[in-house]
Amino acid sequence: EEAGDEAEGFDYGKPDFTEHACRYCGVSNPACVVRCNVPSCRKWFCNSRGNTSGSHIVNHLVCFYFFLCSCLFFFFFSCTVVPSVVMWVLNGIRMEERLSFMELCSNGYISVVLGHMKLRILKIIKMRTFQWAICVHVDTDYLSIIVRAKHKEVCLHKDSPLGETILECYNCGCRNVFLLGFISAKTESVVVLLCREPCLNVNALKDMNWDLSQWCPLIDDRCFLQWLVKIPSEQEQLRARQISAQQINKVEELWKANPDATLEDLEKPGVDDEPQQVVLKYEDAYQYQNVFAPLIKLEADYDKMMKESQSKDNVTIRWDIGLNKKRVAYFVFPKEDNELRLVPGDELRLRYSGDAAHPAWQSVGHVIKLTAQEEVALELRASQGVPVDVNHGLSVDFVWKSTSFDRMQGAMKTFAVDETSVSGGTIPGVPGSFWYIYHHLLGHEVEVQMVRNTLPRRFGAPGLPELNASQVFAVKSVLQRPISLIQGPPGTGKTVTSAAIVYHMAKQGQGQVLVCAPSNVAVDQLAEKISATGLKVVRLCAKSREAVSSPVEHLTLHYQVRHLDTSEKSELHKLQQLKDEQGELSSSDEKKYKALKRATEREISQSADVICCTCVGAGDPRLANFRFRQVLIDESTQATEPECLIPLVLGAKQVVLVGDHCQLGPVIMCKKAARAGLAQSLFERLVLLGLKPIRLQVQYRMHPCLSEFPSNSFYEGTLQNGVTINERQSSGIDFPWPVPNRPMFFYVQMGQEEISASGTSYLNRTEAANVEKIVTTFLRSGVVPSQIGVITPYEGQRAYIVNYMSRNGALRQQLYKEIEVASVDSFQGREKDYIILSCVRSNEHQGIGFLNDPRRLNVALTRARYGIVILGNPKVLSKQPLWNGLLTHYKEHECLVEGPLNNLKQSMVQFHKPKKIYN
Amino acid sequence: DDEVRFRQKLAEVDPEEVANFDLELRAVVQESMEQRKQELRGRPALNMMIPINVFEGSSRDHHGRMAGESGDEALDEDIGEDKEVQVKVLVKRGNKQQTKQMYIPRDCSLVQSTKQKEAAELEE
Ligand SMILES: [Zn+2]
Ligand SMILES: [Zn+2]
Ligand SMILES: [Zn+2]
Repeated sequence: EEAGDEAEGFDYGKPDFTEHACRYCGVSNPACVVRCNVPSCRKWFCNSRGNTSGSHIVNHLVCFYFFLCSCLFFFFFSCTVVPSVVMWVLNGIRMEERLSFMELCSNGYISVVLGHMKLRILKIIKMRTFQWAICVHVDTDYLSIIVRAKHKEVCLHKDSPLGETILECYNCGCRNVFLLGFISAKTESVVVLLCREPCLNVNALKDMNWDLSQWCPLIDDRCFLQWLVKIPSEQEQLRARQISAQQINKVEELWKANPDATLEDLEKPGVDDEPQQVVLKYEDAYQYQNVFAPLIKLEADYDKMMKESQSKDNVTIRWDIGLNKKRVAYFVFPKEDNELRLVPGDELRLRYSGDAAHPAWQSVGHVIKLTAQEEVALELRASQGVPVDVNHGLSVDFVWKSTSFDRMQGAMKTFAVDETSVSGGTIPGVPGSFWYIYHHLLGHEVEVQMVRNTLPRRFGAPGLPELNASQVFAVKSVLQRPISLIQGPPGTGKTVTSAAIVYHMAKQGQGQVLVCAPSNVAVDQLAEKISATGLKVVRLCAKSREAVSSPVEHLTLHYQVRHLDTSEKSELHKLQQLKDEQGELSSSDEKKYKALKRATEREISQSADVICCTCVGAGDPRLANFRFRQVLIDESTQATEPECLIPLVLGAKQVVLVGDHCQLGPVIMCKKAARAGLAQSLFERLVLLGLKPIRLQVQYRMHPCLSEFPSNSFYEGTLQNGVTINERQSSGIDFPWPVPNRPMFFYVQMGQEEISASGTSYLNRTEAANVEKIVTTFLRSGVVPSQIGVITPYEGQRAYIVNYMSRNGALRQQLYKEIEVASVDSFQGREKDYIILSCVRSNEHQGIGFLNDPRRLNVALTRARYGIVILGNPKVLSKQPLWNGLLTHYKEHECLVEGPLNNLKQSMVQFHKPKKIYN
Repeated sequence: DDEVRFRQKLAEVDPEEVANFDLELRAVVQESMEQRKQELRGRPALNMMIPINVFEGSSRDHHGRMAGESGDEALDEDIGEDKEVQVKVLVKRGNKQQTKQMYIPRDCSLVQSTKQKEAAELEE
């Protein structure tokens, strides 16, 4: 018998647990375990601490979950959290009512440390059965949501001293173990469990036979009272499975989806695993695909989740008919909870659930424009059955399209399986250059190869401004190399240089040149410049954007198809007219129309010298049979690698990537994908691999005083000024610059930062009030609103400034409305004569969030042509080395000031020592 | 395999992790209190009378060992003489009151005060 007992004793920790074995470690001594009493859980846990901070049962009960809900998303674009998004997250992991979001502290401002994440609670919001806490990662401003499991009741084992007993307050029946404790009778050896709220505080109890002075909490020193639930002996503990805090968190995470999951399941690869990190060099294109495909999938899933949760009910519609006879619905997409910035081309579904007079109806359409009043114009695909006499109670859903992600995946597949996708042929005059680009993209050692093209006599191009020396050098170098990088710091004429390169490439007679950029705006700008050189340009737009107006409409393929004015095409025109009038064609006519249209599109595209489209647009089926040996990608540092790959796998032999890795990179919504390196552009990786970018060195934007600091801090002091002080002298503008001829100052602000009403962003009232004063002073001195830009990294502050200026502005309201107030990110690639930068962050105990990114600071500082005013708290900002440098720079030039605007005095504020640089 | 396990020591816990856990735990308690305050409007009725039968046959001798109603066997081996005192735990099963016997450490604050008072009473 004894031997049998012994054998049983050794069963602790083995996978085949008895029912009441601790689900973490396997200890199954009835005296040591309790059962979680939540019906959906009912798991047993022991009172052993193992090597974790709290005992296993306490660990289970305190367990929390947190989601990195959105990375930069909320702060960049608008910054409110839509309850539906959060609900989605909750529903997505099946938490329903049994979980609730928990308040982590009463005032909502204490920093909590979760694992290695330092989070600061911004706001706690209660919704029906949920409470949720919105937190911000102190150092990066990443947003997360904390959810705590609502497991707070336990039941003792039937073989324990008290038998099968649910622990509850003797008086009121409260079962929350965090509130329970024992009291004893004054004279007798009788004890009861009593809750500390409210029963322990009921005065009448004092008069009874109970001793309330010695309330003994059930959970003490992070364990249950040891005499109630025994702690397993050290031997039992050592025999049991050793489980770490991380494993506990992981298995709890698994239980949310699968309550029967075991620790063994942790070893299986799961959704919670971090994806593989990007690397510098890849063995082959298959390995490349293996790394990037999961990251794109993550980003796609995140994008889908965010967009599909964007349903709006009770939308009021105004119906109209467009010039093309198509039905257009106008409606307002409420701004306050619209963190999703709609852009033209987005697809939305309009729904009506029906009533006595109307059947249920729905139709899909494309956003064709967004009016200044934030009204959305949606062009419906089908005009039949539209309930045009209904104006209220419609619903709008976002239709998520996987197109762009599919094209990235497709490009990676092509890259992997089709050996001719890049470098499909040798470079003229370069033997063995067949695989050059392929190997270079994968980071393999390849000998530098020169392309022996006959170089043009002059490197400029007709219709473009004269090139400067560094631009000429760039054009010349690029034409001789199979792969090159051009770094264009702010205002250095990237677009002109790119257009000149494309001009010369097109003149080399190697076929059509493909010109891409990640954004439509950049593609349009480039298409316009290239067209100015006299080349035949076709701007290929996504079908969903054909109705969106464009500054280069005459270059677009759809416009050219419609306006190709030859008599042979009259058939197509006739059909087009018929389609426009009737909205539809008979199926045979439709077939004929489509075939004719396709043929015409093809004809026009083939006759072009240059095709311009977005990177994703390069994956358009209309280009499927095209081969492009020469590809230029502008703004390539704002594209992800797989995005850049789309235009490259169409047969590229000569590749030019233009961009600036010292400015902001691609926006990745999914934190996990960003962490794994999806936010690193191909340009950056090639730089890290040792490919030296050719830098454009003359800037034509900023007053020389303004370019000094960015040049020294971000471009090793190489930025030269192509504009003189005189050209940037704002004559007749009477503005109180502290140092004449130095149109810049850092305006010391000590006002407190606050959490915005949405709970997810920051604002700073003092700074906002001073922004208004500065704007007013500019306006009074003769500057017009369109010359001024107000930049702030936080949406909360952006909204507050807009509001504040229109309410409190000393001048006509309209003037303030015309001033652009936007995030740093949305100012990238653009300029204003005067920039006012409001830094917002002013809490000495917190990080500076977004301001921490040097690339963001670079962008913010390089938007102004004539003058810049920075408002911020030097005490806080000076902790960061780069900001410390900036402040020192301003101080040395006597431009660090405080006091009223009409009497600015040099500030003597002390800086902090900068923290060591990490990152 | 087991022998190897026996020789290893339980790992030390990172003090920072302990501090964080404490913070978390305090937060849960705090939040539970607040939730409770919101749930309950007004005071609960008191229902804390100690039933008479508890006293019947109750032993005044805290040193003595009495046969428990259940589960005592499991405890037997580890209980040192003198280190523990027996108490009756009063619980409710539905509306019915029940007592269960249990041993708690002598140095537990719960019994200490009772003992002090008893001592004081004796002196009087
Ligand atoms: Zn549970
Ligand atoms: Zn355990
Ligand atoms: Zn109670």
